[in-house]
Amino acid sequence: MEETDPGSNDRIDIRLLAEIAGGVEQAFVELYRRRHNDVYRFAFAMAKSRSFAQDVTQEVFLNVLENAHRFDSAKGSVRAWLFGCARHVTLDRLRLERRWTDDMPADLTAIDGDERLLADQRVERLHAAIARLPVEYREALVLAELQELTYAETAAVLDCPVGTVRSRLHRGRVLLSAMLDEGEPAPADASANVEPLGAREVCS
Amino acid sequence: MSNTPRDASRLQSELAQLRAALRAVEAPAIDEAALRARFREARQQLAQNAAAERAGRLRRLPLAAAAAVALAVGGALVAVMLRGEHSAPMLVVAETPVAAPSAVSAFQPLLSSPGLSSSSYSVVRVRIPLSAFAVVPGTVQDGSIEADLLVGEDGLARAIRFNEADALLVSAVDQ
Repeated sequence: MEETDPGSNDRIDIRLLAEIAGGVEQAFVELYRRRHNDVYRFAFAMAKSRSFAQDVTQEVFLNVLENAHRFDSAKGSVRAWLFGCARHVTLDRLRLERRWTDDMPADLTAIDGDERLLADQRVERLHAAIARLPVEYREALVLAELQELTYAETAAVLDCPVGTVRSRLHRGRVLLSAMLDEGEPAPADASANVEPLGAREVCS
Repeated sequence: MSNTPRDASRLQSELAQLRAALRAVEAPAIDEAALRARFREARQQLAQNAAAERAGRLRRLPLAAAAAVALAVGGALVAVMLRGEHSAPMLVVAETPVAAPSAVSAFQPLLSSPGLSSSSYSVVRVRIPLSAFAVVPGTVQDGSIEADLLVGEDGLARAIRFNEADALLVSAVDQ
């Protein structure tokens, strides 16, 4: 169970990350327990695929093992740092796999409890539309709207100014509205909008 | 394409519903044994990588030393030939446990050295066989000359100085 005070949560995360960097196995298990759902939900929101989200989660935590010592608390929370890692892994995988489409079960009556919540037709359409947005708008919307990061945290994760986050959110909402109103697919091939991340570290 | 206030409020409402739905999404149950095994594997891999990197550095060290000596020989030739004609600037050298020879020349910057950008240097005493000078016609082949190399943190030699007596001997034999 998480503490209610976000500051306290972050202090715990920071301590766990420091212990992971020092090779404490239990700290890794503990951080995974606390944060793997955040990473999983981010990846699921981005790609609308459970298997994709699971793969991303595994890869992010493997990266945590290697890069725990790189975390700088002056740059933001551990949660935001993990979203940064998840973002890099997600974009890399999206680009490599070219997997942009919904692989949710078609038969909504056969799905489990979690997905029944998503089965509401409008929510389902919205998620499908988000998953087809150009990636720069999608990641901003997922982080700020769905993961409820502040604009500053979102900007830190996306490595861009807050003003850019605002404009991407605005543009993303406009595109979403248009897609939902018109029931049309994305205005352009979303895969073309994934810029290579170059040689940057996954978790920097 | 329109984004009227009504559209925006409806979108916000739908986003809130999706946010709530996503909050209820759970990752598959944790397999703690597998997680711990992965941690151990990764730690082992990191340790192996670190050991391999250290071994690689140690393997490169003799090569770096050999390169430093080769550079020093080149610089030494020039330094010996120009000695007495030009006074080279005296370099400030960090304190070193190497005892200076009884009579030494000033450090001479090596022609191919990258400059004195580093703040910390080591002085390495080497004995250079005079045969190394044989590339220049008329130099002696036997014996050796003692020299101190000023080596930067990157392992590159920056300057060289000779035991004055040895250098005079070489110079005398040359003539």
